[in-house]
Amino acid sequence: MATAEEIAEAYADWQERCNVNTRLARMLRGWDRTVHLVATDTGEGFTIAVSASVLSDLRSGLVDQPDLVVSATSEDFADLFWGDLNPSEKYLSGEIVLAGSSEDVMRLDAMSMVAFLDQ
Amino acid sequence: MTLADRTVDVVVAGAGYSGLQTARTLVEAGLDVVVLEARDRVGGRVLTEVTPSGAVVDQGGQWIGPTQDRLQALADEYAVSTFPTYLDGSNLEVRDGWVHPFTGLVPTSDRDGSADTVATLLDLDLLAQEVSPTHPWDHPDAGALDRITLAEWVESAADTQTARSLVATAALAVFGCGPEELSLLYVLSYAHSGGSMSSLIRTAGGAQERRFTGGAQQMALRLAQHLADRIVLDAPVVSVSYGDGGAGEPAGVTVTAERMGADGVRSPWRVAAQRLVVAMPPAVQGRIAFDPPLPGSRQQLAQRAPMGSVTKVHAVYDQPFWRDAGLSGQVVADAGMLRAIFDDSPEDGSHGILMGFIAGAVDRSSESDGAAGRQRVCLEELARAFGPKAAEPIEFVEQRWSEEPYSRGGPVAGMGPGVLTACGPSLRTPVGPIHWAGTETASVWSGYIEGALESGERAAAEVVATLEGAALTGTAGLDESSRQ
Repeated sequence: MATAEEIAEAYADWQERCNVNTRLARMLRGWDRTVHLVATDTGEGFTIAVSASVLSDLRSGLVDQPDLVVSATSEDFADLFWGDLNPSEKYLSGEIVLAGSSEDVMRLDAMSMVAFLDQ
Repeated sequence: MTLADRTVDVVVAGAGYSGLQTARTLVEAGLDVVVLEARDRVGGRVLTEVTPSGAVVDQGGQWIGPTQDRLQALADEYAVSTFPTYLDGSNLEVRDGWVHPFTGLVPTSDRDGSADTVATLLDLDLLAQEVSPTHPWDHPDAGALDRITLAEWVESAADTQTARSLVATAALAVFGCGPEELSLLYVLSYAHSGGSMSSLIRTAGGAQERRFTGGAQQMALRLAQHLADRIVLDAPVVSVSYGDGGAGEPAGVTVTAERMGADGVRSPWRVAAQRLVVAMPPAVQGRIAFDPPLPGSRQQLAQRAPMGSVTKVHAVYDQPFWRDAGLSGQVVADAGMLRAIFDDSPEDGSHGILMGFIAGAVDRSSESDGAAGRQRVCLEELARAFGPKAAEPIEFVEQRWSEEPYSRGGPVAGMGPGVLTACGPSLRTPVGPIHWAGTETASVWSGYIEGALESGERAAAEVVATLEGAALTGTAGLDESSRQ
């Protein structure tokens, strides 16, 4: 189990890497979305916004209407953001669940994989 | 019209899954149907065989994935169970002659190249969402998208050779065609019909997710039992004469098949009907003579939608030894004879089976190697990935679909540039009393068994609708005297 602080620390590292990745910037162009993260074990929620190809800071709580909801254990969120976890593998096994339109799911799936590979 | 040996409401030409589903739907609507099948079996591009050692191998179509609901319903109806394609452990990537383990969808040895592959696939999938699976020619940029090949698009969309190579491997596995043979518009429409290109190439969550215990042909065999003597095997359709009832012509069709007699001699056998459903790929349909000739666009389609080239090979072992080494049996290779390999062992692991595809230009050029030469190269490549044990299977079987006269290739038709926009509408548009089925005509999962089933339902619905209309006008009523 990861605490909210640990998730926030891991996210900050991931955010920094993502926001300097030119390939990701290209992939995120024109895709402004609100994403909710729900930790299935702790019940804690977080919110991320993508705007103008930039990932926002992590906000505590489920804020605004989400376009996408990502559900995973708190530890998987932390591992994902630290880059220790292959997101594609976790989606395929059903341990990370994405809910949203098929296009949004497609984009988030791809961008998280690129973030993992490009770290 | 010549004198018929038999008269029915509808003739279905082809007893693959599309023809069988067409016939079943028509019979359930109360119509008298005969199915003419060229081969001595049903199932078309789906063929399950048992090797001498008792291993069950699917020589053609074999998988079922999410959203393939018709196929799942058929399996449920006939109590055919499914099981997940084996996925535990690491996949292998062969790149520049070196073998690298990886997990997940894309190889990870060249991380930049793999990230580029993911980004390229996303671009392709997003573009595919804009293209209708049924009317791709209506896309505002259809002309431009149909002017270039997938290879040309990938050349500019991808930054790395790794991405180009992985997209090529995907095209070969999915279409039996290299990316240079495929129109981009065709690929986009085809991918959208199954959700996305990512869905088509995925195992878990995608087209390769599950297999049928006992093989994928079973439901076709059960459908054939259901249709009983309405199916005539060993009866290739050679010619069709037809009229639409206009200008004093008789409405309907006369279908001539070369039927094998008890004496082993083929002789013409004519079936008269109000409607014909042609349930086969355009390239196979092209061998049937039509009188009057079909419209030019349909004739062109039959020439310009050639089948992919694929040979499916199975190496059978006493046990799936690679699993003990933590390997899933899946391989993606950037070169060689086998660009994609899967663990095709039975669910109970009573045999170990590695299955691979020889596809595209390599498949065509491997004809000169002969069966022994192909086996030698395939076993070398299996041994490179899985070690020396892989070079010594107890059996090695291959199915060369290009040598099947009533498939002419596989797994599906591949259209090059310019075909869809010029001839695409003729894929499904009826010609007088002639309707078109076959997975190539499907609006969902085109190229897959699910698409074959959907196409059969759609063609049957067209026929029922037109015959109902005809019955109302009294020009082609379905009275009992028209049935044999």
